[in-house]
Amino acid sequence: MASEDAPQLISIPGPGQEFLGTGDPLTLEETPGQLEHIYRLADPALSELALEPLLDELLARAKDILRVDTVAILLLDENGNELVARAAKGLEEEVERGVRIPVGEGFAGRIAAGRRPIYIADVHHADILNPILRMKGVRSLLGVPLLVEGSALGVLHVGTVTPREFTNADAALLQLVAAQAAPAIDRARLFEALDREHRSAVALQRSLLPDRLPDLVGIDCATRYLPARAEVGGDWYDVIDLPGGHVGLAIGDVAGHGLRAAALMGQLRAGLRAYALDGHSPADTLKRLDRMLQTISGRGMATAGYAVVDPASGTMRYASAGHPPPIVVRAGREAHLLEVKAAPPLGSLPFAAFHETQERLAPGDTILLYTDGLIERRREPLTAGLERLRALAATRATAEQLCQRVVEQLLPPGGGDDDIAVVALRVVPVEAAMRVRFAADPRVLSQMRRMLSRWLREHGAQPDEIAAMTLACGEACGNAIEHAYAPGVAYFELEATHANGLVTLRVRDTGRWRAPRGANRGRGLKIIAAGVDELDLHTTEAGTEVVMRRRLGAPK
Amino acid sequence: MSPLADLSFEVLDGVVVARLQGEIDMSNASDLGAAITARVPSDARGLVVDLTAVHYLDSAGIKALFELRERLMGRGQEIKLAFADDSPIATTLEYAGVQSTLGSAPTVQGAIADLED
Repeated sequence: MASEDAPQLISIPGPGQEFLGTGDPLTLEETPGQLEHIYRLADPALSELALEPLLDELLARAKDILRVDTVAILLLDENGNELVARAAKGLEEEVERGVRIPVGEGFAGRIAAGRRPIYIADVHHADILNPILRMKGVRSLLGVPLLVEGSALGVLHVGTVTPREFTNADAALLQLVAAQAAPAIDRARLFEALDREHRSAVALQRSLLPDRLPDLVGIDCATRYLPARAEVGGDWYDVIDLPGGHVGLAIGDVAGHGLRAAALMGQLRAGLRAYALDGHSPADTLKRLDRMLQTISGRGMATAGYAVVDPASGTMRYASAGHPPPIVVRAGREAHLLEVKAAPPLGSLPFAAFHETQERLAPGDTILLYTDGLIERRREPLTAGLERLRALAATRATAEQLCQRVVEQLLPPGGGDDDIAVVALRVVPVEAAMRVRFAADPRVLSQMRRMLSRWLREHGAQPDEIAAMTLACGEACGNAIEHAYAPGVAYFELEATHANGLVTLRVRDTGRWRAPRGANRGRGLKIIAAGVDELDLHTTEAGTEVVMRRRLGAPK
Repeated sequence: MSPLADLSFEVLDGVVVARLQGEIDMSNASDLGAAITARVPSDARGLVVDLTAVHYLDSAGIKALFELRERLMGRGQEIKLAFADDSPIATTLEYAGVQSTLGSAPTVQGAIADLED
């Protein structure tokens, strides 16, 4: 029953007799017993606990101090329309059964809507939505809102199975519990939301980066990608298999973090790849990418670098958009920064111009692209990190070893604040003798041609000699593919040697050379004969060997 | 891997022009031949295969061209090739001894004109 001695408590004696309180703050009587309760509930040690143990401990202490049979916390769901039971003592079923109370309705709903405490002297006579409260035989209820910066994020209530007159002091103590719980819940929810966003950003970023490097002839390529510890950034790399055996290497860094940066990174990576495959030069590719970025609304900015390498000649062309300079490593002797013509980051200036630098990579040389996460350190100029990287790179190593080395030595302990992407491409030195085993599949022929023409070039053959010998070898290999047979996968072998101006090409397979049948086989033989000086054929039980010889520099 | 060869089509003066780019070898020759055949309607005046942008052709490609020629001849249609005199195509056809069997001209226009003769 409403009591004149406790005007501050809002009491609901029965349906249709709802009282709204005056809103005066509740006060505590400072008796020794009460003080002890306050200390227990306002214990600073509680703030050390994570959310779940904190709620558990608070509820346990509240139940004890207030001498009640049930304690429960309900929180507003994401839409803010319903309260969901989150933790309880003596009312665990409420949590288990996922009871939901609409805001504004029932006991807890009205507390959340009005942001005021409510006391129900006897639930038999009140409008109680919660079936579990009835089931448990709860008779009296006292509930307070959980408030953070004036808005309710939930409700805390206690109940007794025998009728009870809750006092001002009880309400004050309960509000003390609420004051501990509310900010802790708020913080935990914030981290949960951030974590969700972080996880979906990480998933997006992973799906946007290449997962396999293409198989490329005459080069040795390796990459590393290390995402930032806390938040995803917008770094990317790409290795693009271009027509004519050229290779495109891209590196980029979108400004900012999170989902937005990762999504923009995806667009830029795809755009660069498309322009590259269309055959645009590095400068043109960056220019188009820059113009594309300008058309994206809410656009950001990004630095980027793009190189095109021709492994056959070792020529590299590179263009940069505000990106740190690549490192050129000379076959383990020394490393230096590529001199790059300055250009602004993508999306930063209208009508920006981009320029190219050219460099020759000799066999054994490596080009290293990276993002600034590798060289940036707090309280240190960028040039210091750059010099550290350059010094580390001056080592005799494969592309894989180089990537591993720089990442190991330069990664800050515990991971970086920024993403790190690294791409290394090394031009493979040509062997004096070339010996390669190919699967007997027509699709290997173009790879064979690239390898052989590069090898011939390195050994001083002229373009017309290269064309003729490659054609001849192509015919011999084609024949091997056609009549190769073996249990399982069939193979053929190509061996190329060069001694004193005489080139010898051997194609070995495990099949039997068939005499020319049909007009076309005859054409193949004629083509071989026209391209080389000598042709020998040996067929044994093991298989067939075609030997072709040609003297370089002699007229045919 | 980028594709080895590219194929596109145009119709000029009732003649189907099949433009090839890149390299033709055993891995793609018969597919290209089939793709070209499918695009020549029976009422076309003829077919010109533009090889000016092809930088590799071997006996597999020659075989595909001959087969294409045979199929079209069966329908009363003619085929002409277009390629430069000093191109790798010319070299390959010469080595194979078929440089004159498959009629050709240095340009597409020239090949179309040859069809009318």
